Amino acid sequence: MILEVEGLEAGYGPATVLHGLDLTVSEGEGVVVLGPNGHGKSTLLRAISGILTPTAGTLRFTGQEITAWRADEIATAGLVHIPQGDALFGEMTVHDNLLMGSFVKAAWEQRHERIERVYELLPQLKSRYNLLASNLSGGERRMLAIGRGLMADAKLLMIDEPSLGLAPLLIEQVYEQIQAIKESGLAILLADENADHISGLADRVFLLESGLFVREGPAEALLADEALLAAYLG
Amino acid sequence: MSELLQASWGGVLAGSVYGLMAIGLTLIWGAVRLLNLAHGALYVAGAYAAWTVINIGLPLAVGIPVAVLAAGILGYGMHVTVIRPMLGRPGWDSASIIATVGVAIALQAATLLVFGPRVKQIPAVIPGSTVVSSVRISYQGLVIVLVAVVSLVALFLYLRSSRQGMAIRAISQHMDAAALMGVPVHRTYALVMIISAGLAGLAGVLLSSVLFLSPTSGFTPMIIALLVTIFGGLGSVKGTIVAAYLIGILESSVQVYLGGAWALPVLFLFIIFMLIVRPSGLFGVPEAQRL
Amino acid sequence: MTTPDSTTSTPVDSIDSAAAPWRSPKWTAVSSFGVFALILPLVLLRFGAGTFMVHLLITFFLWSVVAQSWNLVLGVSGIYSFAQIALFAVGGWFTGVLSMSYGWNPWLSLALAPIVTTVAALIIGLPSLRLRGVYVVLLTLAFHELLRNYVTNGPRVISGGGYGLIGVPRLDFGPFSGFSHLVPSYYLALGFFVVATFSIWWVFQSPIGVAFAALRDSEGYAVGRGIDQFRIKLFLFGFSAFFTGLAGGLMTHYLGSISQSIFAFSVLINVLAMIVIGGWGSFGGPILGTALLLGLQEGLRDLSDFRTLVLGLALASVAVLAPSGLWPKMRDGFRNFLDESPDVEDESEEGRDLLADPGDGSEHGRGAQSAAPG
Repeated sequence: MILEVEGLEAGYGPATVLHGLDLTVSEGEGVVVLGPNGHGKSTLLRAISGILTPTAGTLRFTGQEITAWRADEIATAGLVHIPQGDALFGEMTVHDNLLMGSFVKAAWEQRHERIERVYELLPQLKSRYNLLASNLSGGERRMLAIGRGLMADAKLLMIDEPSLGLAPLLIEQVYEQIQAIKESGLAILLADENADHISGLADRVFLLESGLFVREGPAEALLADEALLAAYLG
Repeated sequence: MSELLQASWGGVLAGSVYGLMAIGLTLIWGAVRLLNLAHGALYVAGAYAAWTVINIGLPLAVGIPVAVLAAGILGYGMHVTVIRPMLGRPGWDSASIIATVGVAIALQAATLLVFGPRVKQIPAVIPGSTVVSSVRISYQGLVIVLVAVVSLVALFLYLRSSRQGMAIRAISQHMDAAALMGVPVHRTYALVMIISAGLAGLAGVLLSSVLFLSPTSGFTPMIIALLVTIFGGLGSVKGTIVAAYLIGILESSVQVYLGGAWALPVLFLFIIFMLIVRPSGLFGVPEAQRL
Repeated sequence: MTTPDSTTSTPVDSIDSAAAPWRSPKWTAVSSFGVFALILPLVLLRFGAGTFMVHLLITFFLWSVVAQSWNLVLGVSGIYSFAQIALFAVGGWFTGVLSMSYGWNPWLSLALAPIVTTVAALIIGLPSLRLRGVYVVLLTLAFHELLRNYVTNGPRVISGGGYGLIGVPRLDFGPFSGFSHLVPSYYLALGFFVVATFSIWWVFQSPIGVAFAALRDSEGYAVGRGIDQFRIKLFLFGFSAFFTGLAGGLMTHYLGSISQSIFAFSVLINVLAMIVIGGWGSFGGPILGTALLLGLQEGLRDLSDFRTLVLGLALASVAVLAPSGLWPKMRDGFRNFLDESPDVEDESEEGRDLLADPGDGSEHGRGAQSAAPG
């Protein structure tokens, strides 16, 4: 069990968004949290990665309790979060953005090898290595965000809405990449708005509504239940 | 022709000093969005530390690192007692200005109490001067330009390619993303503060060796440094360096061709014009500063 | 308070009374203060130190208006203008030069001073107020320095060779002047203080005051509601300049002089401290702050450097520990003591969030999502 979430509650100021969530991710597993916008998916990921401090509940990562840890401590432990909207360093080049991904000391030593590997995986980044991140197109930014996430020595990769704002062709590519990443052995926690492309990488699926999990189960079963998905995701 | 050369040399000298003075301000703004109005007090503190070292008989070469160290420590102290408690609180914009002004006055008063109001002089590392094609160049001026250029280049490279330097750039651009990469944000703020203060101390010693030193002598240089920073673009290291030299040359030219009394007014008018026409400065990112 | 989802766009003039309840001044308090203030000089002058005390009070009246005016700009509407002292100087110099060197009747030049100052403010304000935050600091500081330079090095009639204006004619109080100009000056200053304070109080209570507070607390929301930032800021800037210029004029005639020492950084800091320590953005704060600072100045008169050190530390401490200043703390403490129910409109709490809506969780999921930090 690489990630254990128990009774997680979190919110913004007086507003509670998550009302007690339980979730686990095992090594090499692909877990997807599905839910319409505004129901807490991003909040969940932010509470896990430490950007947001939980108001109640416990979080355990590789056996250590990380509930009160800072975001940078959690990232250093190998829990990498690729947030919604990419969160790139706009005034830095593609190359520098990727290097920052290896900031953690352990990864920094091998940053040159890691970056070569990422360039192999995502050749469009290699050809744009000297461009400022703010000058990239939407799809390229997404690729950069994912590539940056790979630069770390991650044990668990959390991705928030990988397909948001992308053209359909790019969406395919993005999910293919994520699937490839998962197949290489990395555990993945994905937050997504629709279930269209996740069948290849999801082992288990959770349905999130208004800050609570209303359903969970093996991906095959849930994804096959079209009626449920239609009623729920619309 | 010799006037032009004199103005150019004066410009290079002034620009080097302004660059050192302003770079700390821009760094701190970039990282923490803090307009550090205590920066002037940090110059003076560094200069007095060096003066104390000289006063007990040690050479200026020892005084300079001491100045940097003393200012750096003060900067760290300021960070811990004043800046850090206020981080993330609403009302940061106004509170940070007030707090740094308060620190500035307190430091100034403390300096006055400890060292007295009389003007002090920091001797040059190498006294004397030489004349090159009818331009008077002082050796101390050369030393200053050398130290400043080396420091600025070193800083630039540090920010560009070192792990910590890149982290500093990262937190200036996107704090949350930096944290997600494992950058300890608050510790990095402290680092920026120490570097910024140390540079202020260095600028203070160098400046005091060509001008005089008194508890209040930090105010006007700080205003000029602020103007340089704004002109170059708040938060842009490259912009600040370029702006420093441009303003240095402008001031020097005005001094040579129009006379010293005009220097400040022209400078201020120029900056007012700049702020109206292009507030983001030369290289600044126009982050929504127009209504 | 109406919710952000409400689709009615309410123009500033007709904000409903639930959102801006009219605060009635506590008349008993005000009238007893009035009577007290009126007879005070007559009482004080019986004592040896009386002359000095009356002088101190005049100083208090004039500077507290400057502090209150600056607070309107700085604390209430969040415009980081540092031009206030420069505007004070414009008023003082205008009436000083005209009455001293051009033979104008001081009352006439004094009456025009605030108008001239307001015009100057509008000139400074037009470029400055379009900028945000720190840029305004610099632009206004640049004006300050520029004006300082002008009054020090400018034409003799203005700069007095660098010494400023000396020998500015006093105001002629006609049948009201006694042995000295002190008592009528006191009443003039008192009258000015009352009129200015009341006007400023009125602004705080008016829809414009509510709009200001809205701009400060939640700019995006306020703009979305149709509140024109720039025009309001310009109005406010001019309004505050009016009284500041008048204060400058009154001070110049009272002291008979004005010099470039008024531009010293320490003066700026002193007035800033009055606002900050007293209560940033609140109504009573600057008044309290002025009293405190003048008291500090007199109390530690002999230890001027030490006093400055204390001032600096006080400023930094207030910014860190009690950013809203002392006035709100005192007011709340006093209120708790008297067990009154709190006002609906609380003007100084920084934590007030116009977007806060005590609704149910699901509404908030959406709202909170978009209001999320970072």
